[in-house]
Amino acid sequence: MLFRQFQVEISESNQLSWWRTAGRKNKIYVIYGLAVVLAVLVSYGLGALHWLPHDPDDMNFDSLMAGPFTGGYLLGTDFMGRDLLTRLILGTQAYFLPGLMAIAIALVLGAVLGVSAGYRGGRVDTVVVYCNNLIDSFPRLILVLLVIAAFKPDIYYIMAVVGVTAAPLVASLVKGKVLFLRQKNFIESAIALGIPARVIIIKHILWYNCRALLLIQATLGMAEAILIETSLSYLGFGVQEPIPSWGNMVQAGANYLLQGNFWPSTAPALAILFTVLGFHLLGDGLNDILERQQ
Amino acid sequence: MAQFDKYKPVILVISRELLLTALLLLGISMVVFAILYLAPGDPFAVLLGGQLVSESERQALLESLGLPSTWYGQYFSWLGHMLQGDFGNSLRSGVPVAQELVSTGLNTLYLIVGAMLVTLGFAVPIAIYSVSREHSLATWLMTILTYIVSALPLFWLGYILIYYFTRQLGIFPVSTSSGSGESLNWLHLVLPVLLLGIGNGAVGEILRHLRMELQRVMDEEYVRTARAKGAPVWRHAFAEGLLLPITEMVAAKLPHLLGGAIIVEQVFNWPGLGRLAWQAALDRDYPVILAVAVVAAAMVRMGSLLHRFVYISVNPRASQEH
Repeated sequence: MLFRQFQVEISESNQLSWWRTAGRKNKIYVIYGLAVVLAVLVSYGLGALHWLPHDPDDMNFDSLMAGPFTGGYLLGTDFMGRDLLTRLILGTQAYFLPGLMAIAIALVLGAVLGVSAGYRGGRVDTVVVYCNNLIDSFPRLILVLLVIAAFKPDIYYIMAVVGVTAAPLVASLVKGKVLFLRQKNFIESAIALGIPARVIIIKHILWYNCRALLLIQATLGMAEAILIETSLSYLGFGVQEPIPSWGNMVQAGANYLLQGNFWPSTAPALAILFTVLGFHLLGDGLNDILERQQ
Repeated sequence: MAQFDKYKPVILVISRELLLTALLLLGISMVVFAILYLAPGDPFAVLLGGQLVSESERQALLESLGLPSTWYGQYFSWLGHMLQGDFGNSLRSGVPVAQELVSTGLNTLYLIVGAMLVTLGFAVPIAIYSVSREHSLATWLMTILTYIVSALPLFWLGYILIYYFTRQLGIFPVSTSSGSGESLNWLHLVLPVLLLGIGNGAVGEILRHLRMELQRVMDEEYVRTARAKGAPVWRHAFAEGLLLPITEMVAAKLPHLLGGAIIVEQVFNWPGLGRLAWQAALDRDYPVILAVAVVAAAMVRMGSLLHRFVYISVNPRASQEH
């Protein structure tokens, strides 16, 4: 009985200690970040189910470029009288799934390369370092433009490039972690016990010790994916009008911004700002908490 | 002979760096070539105005142009031409790509060098000021600001700058369209440089790195010794605490800046490499986009080579490594 109680206490303290030891700053960062993640998920769901406040293509020529809170439009309208809130919610469709794909590619490729470089070392490590240097040499947008010219301006091709170019960073972080863990007693005893290498790598290294690191890289990767997607939509290679994306909304409103009508272009810009900020803060906050814990 | 022995390790290290850079440049050319080789549709089909060429016609065409038909033959012929500075002709304008690269490359170089100076102009004084003052208000403000700036869409910030400075105040002109014959002067460059320098999101990272490194060096024992005996501390801390981290960050952020330059040049109609790449991607102008990718990657490698040289000259232990 007493033993059970102890067990419960230990497991409870283990689960919550990271939150208790987190500083106030990091708590604010993480809470804001989680709120943004939730908002993105809800927007994505609403967009997928078409539960929207207005029709995204419905033009109301009586209220062009209305400000927020006017005439039944919560966030106002754009230069064609279309509801901005609806279009902002739909804009998450443009990057959410492709962004997840980029993250998946980056994490899987990075983990494989990082583990093989750290666990095997030697020649594999040299090859991985060389590949990292090679990929790091290319400005990401230029590589994306090259792929667009060679293949087609498809968001999944673009995000594949983003994923592959993000992999080296993940690989180097995982490699550092593996080198650190290899000296630990529990890995050594696992090897001594004859546990197969794949179990040690997947369970003991990647799952128990690298999942936090990978999660942090995933949040930062989503921020990167959003910035790349909006940049490409701005450049005219991403989602095309009339389908909304935050990037092409800023671009479409730019001419009106230069005439002094800020809002149609600024609303999507703020959406990008708050969302990317959320993912950055979530990643950095979690990272800081973990570093302090160690 | 004794003189030579003294420099032998340094020469070895430098030749090792040069070899590594050469290998990476070779790899870069292979990656670029591979992407284009795997592309669906034949670049020659584009050349012939969208007509699909049959396999026999294609072979005849390759032969008449004196091009090898195997992939490695094509790669080496392309590489050989490129090493002689011949990047082929633009499919769109027919002008030699090398010619376009020189004019636009210079414009981008001005932009990037200026932006880097702006970034360092912000980061270095603040880093020096905030060493040893970890939790000051200024540091906190800078953290918040850098978070916001690195999440802001660069293009929107650009339009805001144009609205206030060009439309309202009428200070800095913005070029109206690319290559319309108007003369561009340094006034046209002010806003793009400011935007790329402040808005590229690197300011925060550079600031953090500089502060950390400077703090580390200031805590080193040799600096403490210098301080104890009354020698000028800055002369001892400068090379390792400031020069080295600066070149490291410049080298590391160069790809970042080149990518940002695409957006900035688009906002301001600045005729540089980024706009060239954008236009080439729109037109599927293979020779141009190939050349831009290779040149941009080569620029990044040169920056990192420069950093390694500074590292070797600042850190005498570098020649003992490996």
